[in-house]
Amino acid sequence: MKRFLLTIVVLLLVGTGVYLYLNRSDSSDGTAPAMAGAPPAADVIARGEYLAKAADCAACHTVPGSDQVFAGGVPFRLPFGTIYSSNITADAATGIGGWSDDDFVRALHDGIGKHGEHLYPAFPYNSYTLLSRSDVLAIKAYLFSLPKVSEPNRPNELSFPYNQRWAIGFWNAAFFKSQRFQPDATQSAQWNSGKYLATALGHCAECHTPRNFAFALDHRQEFAGEVLQGWRAYNITADPAHGIGSWSDSDIASYLSTGHADGHGSAAGPMAEAVENSLRFLQPVDTSALVAYLRSVPARAGLDPIAVDTKPAPALASSDYAPAGDAQANAQGLKLFEGACASCHQWNGKGQQTPYASLLGARGVNDVRGNNVTQILLHGSGQRSEGASVFMPDFGNAYSNTEIAALSNYVIGHFGNKQGMVTPDDVAERRKQL
Amino acid sequence: MLSLSVNGQSYPVDVPDDMPLLWVLRDVIGLTGTKFGCGMAQCGACTVHLDGQAVRSCVLPVEAIGNRAITTIEAVGNTPSGQKIQQAWLEVDVVQCGYCQSGQIMAAAALLARTPQPTDQDIDAAMAGNLCRCATYVRIRAAIKQAATGKAEILQTIGSTPEGAVS
Repeated sequence: MKRFLLTIVVLLLVGTGVYLYLNRSDSSDGTAPAMAGAPPAADVIARGEYLAKAADCAACHTVPGSDQVFAGGVPFRLPFGTIYSSNITADAATGIGGWSDDDFVRALHDGIGKHGEHLYPAFPYNSYTLLSRSDVLAIKAYLFSLPKVSEPNRPNELSFPYNQRWAIGFWNAAFFKSQRFQPDATQSAQWNSGKYLATALGHCAECHTPRNFAFALDHRQEFAGEVLQGWRAYNITADPAHGIGSWSDSDIASYLSTGHADGHGSAAGPMAEAVENSLRFLQPVDTSALVAYLRSVPARAGLDPIAVDTKPAPALASSDYAPAGDAQANAQGLKLFEGACASCHQWNGKGQQTPYASLLGARGVNDVRGNNVTQILLHGSGQRSEGASVFMPDFGNAYSNTEIAALSNYVIGHFGNKQGMVTPDDVAERRKQL
Repeated sequence: MLSLSVNGQSYPVDVPDDMPLLWVLRDVIGLTGTKFGCGMAQCGACTVHLDGQAVRSCVLPVEAIGNRAITTIEAVGNTPSGQKIQQAWLEVDVVQCGYCQSGQIMAAAALLARTPQPTDQDIDAAMAGNLCRCATYVRIRAAIKQAATGKAEILQTIGSTPEGAVS
């Protein structure tokens, strides 16, 4: 019996040791590579503003369209419940006004809140842990320079066991490593700053990298594409068929900074938000660095790879104003497109009102599951930026699930030259995800 | 300050960049012939021409226009196809309540300009996005054909066959 108890105690001690070892914090400050938009000599608040934009804090912490900047409350509907983002204004009672520099750094570097509580990994501390302390504090200085908003945080709606914050300690032990960005001396300065932008700041992986059974990022499949909140974040590896390997540098730069690249379609949904809130503010030199890094991401096909047909026969057979080359199977979809879509997108997919309405070469219309096509039809799409504000209305209230499915499959057939597989049940499911 | 070319005239307009063209036409420039219908490119009432192409002005942010020439219902009669279409519209007496008709005429004029002899299929594809709650569709089709051929279209009239008879 004594021996048994001793074994238990030893196991507990070893377990605690392993837990603490795996949860150890990297307390180093780290250094960030040079970025054109945030030179070290710049005013700390101006630097913080650029970094906060590059890190796209607004995407999660500002309700779209709200003037309560950084007051939180954006819902994230995950498979196990809903998480609401928090108020990160300097309001002492409801925001982070009472946080010290070390509190703020600990949150970004280790995912731990002011009161020692674990933050949910929906907050991308898995990426922000790479930021240098000086960059983190510049972001804090910027946030604290903005108006305070009194807005209490909304409690999360998570089911057991996901509402147990302490459990994240074990998740962190398994999947999270506190560490600063390590420059790669064998690569150029441009590549290093691109990597810092893509990983530490832009946290591209949070959407574009597949997740494992425990919802942790599977970095062996870095940037190979994933479906999150009903939207598909596309493969952005160098794979020429399924990723962006065949895009030119200027195509990628244009897509990142304007949300559109001729021959590749336009960003919608969360990517349009990323362009609107973040990527369009990058200085051209920094965008080029980001492109240089993305170019170097090893090619991977990913799950359910999408092959883009750049010369879809039906669309090429059509004129600006009249359809041709369609299989007769989907008369309902054709009729809907004729009435609701053709006047802006045109039958050959060139896009009449604006280049943003072009469909040729877009990955959405080449995805036989039609994830993003149905999302855009149901919820609309839009993007505001300098020089281009574009929008497409939502059709979720106008059309039934059967109609949206028929229209999606028609669009996939006509502009992707593929047999769409969207069912009315899929549409019903995607309706729930806004 | 943007400068718009509307019906051959240049208008400097001081409006937000993302204001839809329809608002600028009606509320700023004062050309109220173009109508607001649904506000989401679904009914066609707001159709105008941009370099001769029919576009829905209610979803067209004014900054996206650039220096392309805008033509509205007020001036479409100065174009050859618009002139033919308006004449046929009168002869066939297409209009019922009239609200959608400026959009219908703009869409039909654009069709005729690019396809001088449209088939039924061409007409369907071009006009499907223009709705008419009075259901003047039969007369619209007839008027487009009449404008194309210059020959009077014989409209299907209500028969005098007695009720219950097989025709």
